[in-house]
Amino acid sequence: MTTASRMSQTIAPVVASIKGCTRRYPGVLALDNATFDVAPGEVRALLGKNGAGKSTLIRMLTGAEIPDSGTVLIDGVELTQTGSGRAQESFERGVRVVYQELSLVPGMTLAENLFLGRWPRKGGVIQYAMMETEATEAMARLGLDLPPDRLVAGLSPAEQQLLEIARAMLGKPRLVILDEPTSSLAAAEADKVMAAVKRVAAQGIAVIYVSHRMNEIRQIAHSATIMRDGRIIDTVDVKGADTREIVRLMLGSEASQAAVLEDRSCPEIVLEVRELALAPKLSSISFSLRKGEVLGIAGLLGSGRTELLQSIIGVRRFDKGDVLADGQSVKFAGYKEMVRRGFGYTPESRKEEGIVPLLGVDENTLATNFPGVSRNGILSARRMAQATRGIIDRLHIKTARTDTPIGTLSGGNQQKVVIGRWVYAGSRILLLDEPTRGVDVEAKAQIYAIIRQLASEGRSIIFVSSEIEELPLVCDRVLVLRDGAMQEEFKSPNIDQDTLMAACITGH
Amino acid sequence: MSLDHAAKPAVSEEAQKSGFAFSQHMNELSLFFAIVVLYVIFASSAPGFVSFNNQVNILRDAATIGIAAWAVTLIIIAGEIDVSVGPMVAFISVELAFLLQWGVPTPAAFILAIALGALLGSVSGVLRAYFDVPSFVATLGMWSALRGTALFVTDALPVSIGRNDMLDALDRSVFGIPPAAIIMLVLFAIFAFVSRKTAFGRSVFAIGGNAHAAFLSGINVSRIRVALFAIGGAMAAISGILLVSRLGSGNATAANGLEFDVIAAVVVGGTSLSGGRGSMLGTLLGVLVITLIGNGLVLLGINPFFQQVVRGLIIVIAVLANIQAIKRSLSRNKG
Repeated sequence: MTTASRMSQTIAPVVASIKGCTRRYPGVLALDNATFDVAPGEVRALLGKNGAGKSTLIRMLTGAEIPDSGTVLIDGVELTQTGSGRAQESFERGVRVVYQELSLVPGMTLAENLFLGRWPRKGGVIQYAMMETEATEAMARLGLDLPPDRLVAGLSPAEQQLLEIARAMLGKPRLVILDEPTSSLAAAEADKVMAAVKRVAAQGIAVIYVSHRMNEIRQIAHSATIMRDGRIIDTVDVKGADTREIVRLMLGSEASQAAVLEDRSCPEIVLEVRELALAPKLSSISFSLRKGEVLGIAGLLGSGRTELLQSIIGVRRFDKGDVLADGQSVKFAGYKEMVRRGFGYTPESRKEEGIVPLLGVDENTLATNFPGVSRNGILSARRMAQATRGIIDRLHIKTARTDTPIGTLSGGNQQKVVIGRWVYAGSRILLLDEPTRGVDVEAKAQIYAIIRQLASEGRSIIFVSSEIEELPLVCDRVLVLRDGAMQEEFKSPNIDQDTLMAACITGH
Repeated sequence: MSLDHAAKPAVSEEAQKSGFAFSQHMNELSLFFAIVVLYVIFASSAPGFVSFNNQVNILRDAATIGIAAWAVTLIIIAGEIDVSVGPMVAFISVELAFLLQWGVPTPAAFILAIALGALLGSVSGVLRAYFDVPSFVATLGMWSALRGTALFVTDALPVSIGRNDMLDALDRSVFGIPPAAIIMLVLFAIFAFVSRKTAFGRSVFAIGGNAHAAFLSGINVSRIRVALFAIGGAMAAISGILLVSRLGSGNATAANGLEFDVIAAVVVGGTSLSGGRGSMLGTLLGVLVITLIGNGLVLLGINPFFQQVVRGLIIVIAVLANIQAIKRSLSRNKG
């Protein structure tokens, strides 16, 4: 491993540097004596697991946070303001961030969004012609060729992301920070964003690229800084670094190997899908799920995995085909009927569809069956606490009390509650859509263990994941969804993540 | 093994939890304080404010707002709104008066009145739940149609009911307490219980907090929405019955602007208009604040037009102070 950038920093000029910064939150050392430099025209990848301190590092650069000790320099001049003036100071020096969440107004045009709140005006009237000309130029610089008077609502996710980057490029930026710009994009779309990032760097602007996709990092970044526990562990030359080595730096120890799974599934088929079609994504899906089996569905984002689960569970109508539960057709039976038949579904977006943040862990768990903790129609506090405690213990949910608002829990614990509500409801067939998204490494391992445990109790589970690496850890069998159909099947222990990944990305 | 999405540095869980709990109490404490202040001000400036008779009046006035406000609290917690309360009360009062004129036995007329209220309310509910008409629009339509129908069939004249023992009894105080106030408090107890201790009540909070998650948990969101508006209609009908007992007639022009007092009381009580958060106790205190202001200003002999200005200001200031208090207590807890 080479420490390329550390050597080069003495030669190359530096756009932004953090010198010995420490930031402590109550109970957490978010940043521990961090020192970091980035040079003009450099694309620096920033890696680290959840809570490693990446966000805090970024907030230091943008002036959103003030270090407890240490200094932040932009173009060699220290940020001196305190309070909200600091963010302004950093912005004026040319630091820009594009966050994961898009901040565009769908009902306004591209040009209006690009200059949102800073529209060129003359006597209070917006100068549309001028604005649209500038917008066209700004977008062209990133290779985005779209009419500036189009509405944002009609843009693809990648185009929206590019528009965000174009907005960050206005004025004279010196450093552009991209926080997982491709996390919600399919591979082909991500390429467009990466092409734009290359163009940004080519203009001599420093780029910090937060991402977990190694293939992207290899394509665009020169070097990668790896963080762990609030510390900067190392900065490595991307070309010379091995993925396993980077993973080791991030996790602090050798990543664990695929577990040997004990297949306890029975021959009895609980769910069968026959030639299910749903335009435009699914053309003909056929598979079956056995009792006690964990069936993984692999596929790139946008391959139609969520649509498939929603079609099965009855919240989305499909075009053709049939779904059979225990040998009986349940086509268009509706969500409530499916739940009554012992199905459970956890949605992909936990915050938007999974939890009621203000309500307690108890109510979020028990909502699937309130009568189960009622006596004569009245909720029994004792039974509620007891039932919730049972789920908390079984799924190892970390919460101070059973009625702690679920919004205050970590993502992993929230996810366990969302799964737990179906365990409480006694569901036999669980459809889990990305159950480990936004969950830290430790909680992921716990969720895998929970899924294996539930399967060994005779429940059948469909496990959808875009993280190929985790499928061999949990699944008895994995199907690859590609081009609207199940293309390939892998059975444990012959599920190899490289082969799986190749199966996902080949073809189109 | 791959990595997770970057997370914003979170405030410690402990701080958030205690802040959450404290802000809940903060709301009710500050309202209680506001009521004490109003009492002190009016007691020292408005003649006759502290008299027993006036206290009874306050309770009776509170009942008019309160009974409807209990249901509207649940509706607002569920993320909806009902602006049809005033016309609903007036319409039911007219309907009840006609029923009695036609010789329908009083208890049956009461039941019919409440059933009709529930039915009309559920029309708004069905429009909301099954046809995706925003509840503001559905109940605004109801607001206009009910007032219009009541005025049309009565020519804006009171519909007298003659002598009716049962209705008279409803306006006769029991140990000095008006029955309306007793009904209000009994209903308060029921609503407070339902909102905290039943699957229905908790489902309302879940729907207001995240309707999509509630649906996917198997909560029957549509049915609960319809039920909420039906309950709203039924509560307005009970107010209508009490109105008839008080006035001795059905009156199409009565309860003018009541919906605003009701919504103001709920909002002053700390229930969030965006849904998911609120409490019955808060609404009870909010109802008292609104009633006290109305009562005190009348006793002070302030010009009735100007009273509206003062009322508007006090409502906004109360909510503002409440929001500030909650923010302060939250930031103190975070610090």
